[in-house]
Amino acid sequence: MDIQAYITSGKLELFLLGELSERERAEVVSMAAQYPEIQQELDELEQAMFDIDHKIGVAPSAGIKAKIFDSLDSEFKEETKPISNTAPAQGKVVPLSPWKSFAVAASLVAVLASSVAIFYASKFYEKEQQFTALLQEQSVMADNLNQVKLEFEAKDSQLDKLVAGDFRLVKLKGESLNMQKDASVNLFWDQGAQEVFVAVNNLNELSDEYDYQLWAIGDQGPIGIGLVNEGEKMTLQQMQAVAQAGAFAITIEPKGGSESPTLEKLVVIGNVA
Amino acid sequence: MEEQQLIAGLRAKDRKTTEYLYEKYSRALFGVISRIIFDKDIAEEVFHDSFVKIIQKIDRYEESKGRLYTWMANICRNSAIDKTRSKEISQSSKTNTIDDFVYGLESNSDTMDQVNAIGVKELMNDLNEDQRFIIEYIYFKGYTHSEISEEFDIPLGTVKSRVRAAIQVLKKNLDSI
Repeated sequence: MDIQAYITSGKLELFLLGELSERERAEVVSMAAQYPEIQQELDELEQAMFDIDHKIGVAPSAGIKAKIFDSLDSEFKEETKPISNTAPAQGKVVPLSPWKSFAVAASLVAVLASSVAIFYASKFYEKEQQFTALLQEQSVMADNLNQVKLEFEAKDSQLDKLVAGDFRLVKLKGESLNMQKDASVNLFWDQGAQEVFVAVNNLNELSDEYDYQLWAIGDQGPIGIGLVNEGEKMTLQQMQAVAQAGAFAITIEPKGGSESPTLEKLVVIGNVA
Repeated sequence: MEEQQLIAGLRAKDRKTTEYLYEKYSRALFGVISRIIFDKDIAEEVFHDSFVKIIQKIDRYEESKGRLYTWMANICRNSAIDKTRSKEISQSSKTNTIDDFVYGLESNSDTMDQVNAIGVKELMNDLNEDQRFIIEYIYFKGYTHSEISEEFDIPLGTVKSRVRAAIQVLKKNLDSI
């Protein structure tokens, strides 16, 4: 056993700092008992640690001492010597005292039990609240997941349709009109399957009282086939079915759309090639 | 008072002995706490609780496992560390440095504190960078050696030998002050 290596390993310092496991502590204790050099080093280090703590220590404020001794008041044993010569008088009191101490003990137990009960009740309440919060969080997450799933399914079926279908692109532009020169909307139309999607590239934002409405202009004149959300840029918005159209156009209509287009507020138009 | 006598008095729940204990050790024990917890009110609260605990749990102290002071200092240190990890203390107070501690003492109007500041500086003399780091983290920030090893990626054996070396420097400085 290399005692010097054991001493210089730093283990004794950690022992004194209270950082060793129970097993390692036991080892240090038994090593110190076995080797006087280790015991001596340990003694010196303990003294040094106290000296260091004392040197860089700070005295607590005066009030704290009084507070500590107040808290400890019930701990201290009463001095018994002064009353020892009145022993005979005490004898008479003896029969009563067990009663009293039982009463005191019982009430102490009662107080203790109630405080333990209150303590655990509050713990329980706390845990229960945490549990409820977790449940709520979980249900929010489940909702979110469901929503994401629905969105995904919708996109997926859109993609299926786009890939499988026979869509033609109709570019709706605002250049020739006076409302929004740079307005631009792409429209995808599968005439056979009667499906229409629009993708907004650029449309000015409308105030709450108005909506953009899409019109299919065919032999029977313009037919409203849905409202276009100008905020949803670069995503596909599915519109109502249409089988026949020579052109598509978007107008600004009062909220909810109109029966027939307000031609003065024609924003974009595009002919089916 | 001999340590044996002191322990016997404490076990007998004797008030005089407890007062003696307080006079002899409160400065060092409060030091252990207050260098980890800068806020004086919180440090005193922890000291109050620790000292009360020491007196109440004196029967758990075993002489064979080290001196009384070491046992008491561990109770104080662990309570202080527990406190810094509780909600009450913001993470910022875990960034204590030796310089902050000295500055805190120096800027205090109390002359005793100002004298202490000089003492702390003298004690920390001659620590090299690694040793100063170790003392700062163990003594002032309340880290354990395994936390230092983990957080700064220093092998456990290296941390141990630096703890040893740093305390040796402090010990040597104590003798020369």
